[in-house]
Amino acid sequence: MFHMVLQNSIAGMAIGLLYGIIGIGVCLFWQTTGLINFAHISSAMLGAYLFYTFNVMWNFPIVVSFALAIALVACYGIFILRGVVHKQIMKRRGGRLEFIVATMLLNTFMVNLVIVIWGGVPYPFPRIFGSPMRPLRIGRVAVQHHSLWVLLFVTALVIGLNYFFKRTLTGKALRATAQNRDTASLMGVEVEKMTSLSFALSTGITALAGILLAPIYFVSVELGGGIIGIKGFASAVIGGLTNPFGALIGGLLIGLAENFAVFYISSSYRDVITFVLLVFFLVARPQGLFKRM
Amino acid sequence: MLIALLVVFYPLIIRDSYLVYVMNRSLIHAMIAMGLVTQVGFAGQISLGHAAFYGIGAYTSALTVLRLGFPIWAGFLAAVVLCVLFSIFLSIPSFKLSGFFLSLTTIAFGHIVWVIIVNWHDLTNGPFGIRGVPQLSFFGVQLNNTGYYYLLVATICLLYLFIRRITNSHIGRAFMAMRDDELAAECSGVNTRVYKVLAFGISAGFAGLAGAFYAHLSGFISPESFVFAESAKFVGMAVTGGLRHLLGGIVGAPIVTHLPELFRFPGWETYYMMAASLLILLIVVFMPDGLAPLLERGFNRIFGEGVQKKGGKVNEHLGN
Repeated sequence: MFHMVLQNSIAGMAIGLLYGIIGIGVCLFWQTTGLINFAHISSAMLGAYLFYTFNVMWNFPIVVSFALAIALVACYGIFILRGVVHKQIMKRRGGRLEFIVATMLLNTFMVNLVIVIWGGVPYPFPRIFGSPMRPLRIGRVAVQHHSLWVLLFVTALVIGLNYFFKRTLTGKALRATAQNRDTASLMGVEVEKMTSLSFALSTGITALAGILLAPIYFVSVELGGGIIGIKGFASAVIGGLTNPFGALIGGLLIGLAENFAVFYISSSYRDVITFVLLVFFLVARPQGLFKRM
Repeated sequence: MLIALLVVFYPLIIRDSYLVYVMNRSLIHAMIAMGLVTQVGFAGQISLGHAAFYGIGAYTSALTVLRLGFPIWAGFLAAVVLCVLFSIFLSIPSFKLSGFFLSLTTIAFGHIVWVIIVNWHDLTNGPFGIRGVPQLSFFGVQLNNTGYYYLLVATICLLYLFIRRITNSHIGRAFMAMRDDELAAECSGVNTRVYKVLAFGISAGFAGLAGAFYAHLSGFISPESFVFAESAKFVGMAVTGGLRHLLGGIVGAPIVTHLPELFRFPGWETYYMMAASLLILLIVVFMPDGLAPLLERGFNRIFGEGVQKKGGKVNEHLGN
């Protein structure tokens, strides 16, 4: 019995960390703009599709297609999201509401675009993260290679982001912009550039999550279909929205809750857990898990 | 006058039964969008879960008629009442939350309702849906598409008068005060909780009515019609028409519903959904005020301003 619980926790943690990565993207976006991007999850879908195109269709090496896919999605973030949607809405004095609706419609459009370009049929993801049929066995516990890869990527991402925000000048400028735009611009920070950079970071990180999620969900429009996006929002909310690494913990919580719900209750109500957690945290602890009021 | 005539004779001019059916669907959507204009545009309480109320309405009416054997009007009544009850429940989080957080809550509500509809096989027959929902009939004559069209136009006119009455009364002023500044509204003696429940209730009631109409119009309902994308579409309709304009819903819904049909040229089958969604996105991004104020201005310029035009305008948008 114990080894089943352990195995479930590891699988839940792996997928939870992926929700957490999406949550990090949500947090970075929220910090600099004070907005939530409802087209957020479209970058995960785009990332997975672009990686598939480069790696499988055009036979690029894995690392190259990885970098290209993430860079292209970051460009999508800068030029479409920031350049067209965000700027136009700000110019016309649109508020949160217009941004919510516009990004939601952008998401619908991206899903339709993907269906037009790649077709609606899901593609199997290449087995670069190990075959799910042959897991690693430690005693009686079976661990997917994919879970280990996720752990590796998350560790690298956390170290990289931490270094970027604490040690580099650009990272510090970004944090200054998040704290107070006017003061930052008085200190000589190019606020507009920093906002664009945060769009690129947020979409790029989400693209990474999308590529890592693809072995579980396949390369399909389901990645952009909303529910995974809500899980990303939920993990960001649980982490407190201003704390990117809190989002990882929030994601972990959701992943574990989900996996144990499937294990003990029923798989048909798996997604309800996330929504209940989301509403509970929004109503009861809007400041997140860690901060005090 | 011309436009009123166009509305009255639309099904007789367009003899294609499918197009009349699409028009009926768009009128049903217009009801939901009208509710959203009241709730989101006037009261400032965003909701991205209206497909849930639409679904609750459709399933309630269908099940009251099919399982319990009540007459159809009782199904309609049950749909509206149940939706209003659910909306009171949903409006509780809105006491504390607003903006993005409220929208996330309503999204979560919509998904939960959808998951329940899919998984509660005994009640809703799960993903297979419910077949054979009876059509409406008056005095023993079953309504066809044209009949439905006139019934829906009449209903929408009534709902429009209802909304106009509400927004011009102290309730509407309280809504707008709450939207613009909640704290200031409370300081001026507006009990925001009551008005929030009211705003949620009105729009949920509209959505429930629309759901009941949909169930009895199409005769078949399945969870497919009540997914989150539909909620997004409803809000998109309200914004396309103009969120802060009384006619927003009536203008937006027919346009958004008909757009994919317009792009349905031969050879374009794969592109029409993409083209339609792109166009709606562009309207929202570049014209956040929506199309209704634009149409109103154009109308006034052509015919001059006058009170007697007010009635005509309602019909113009219906006919487009």
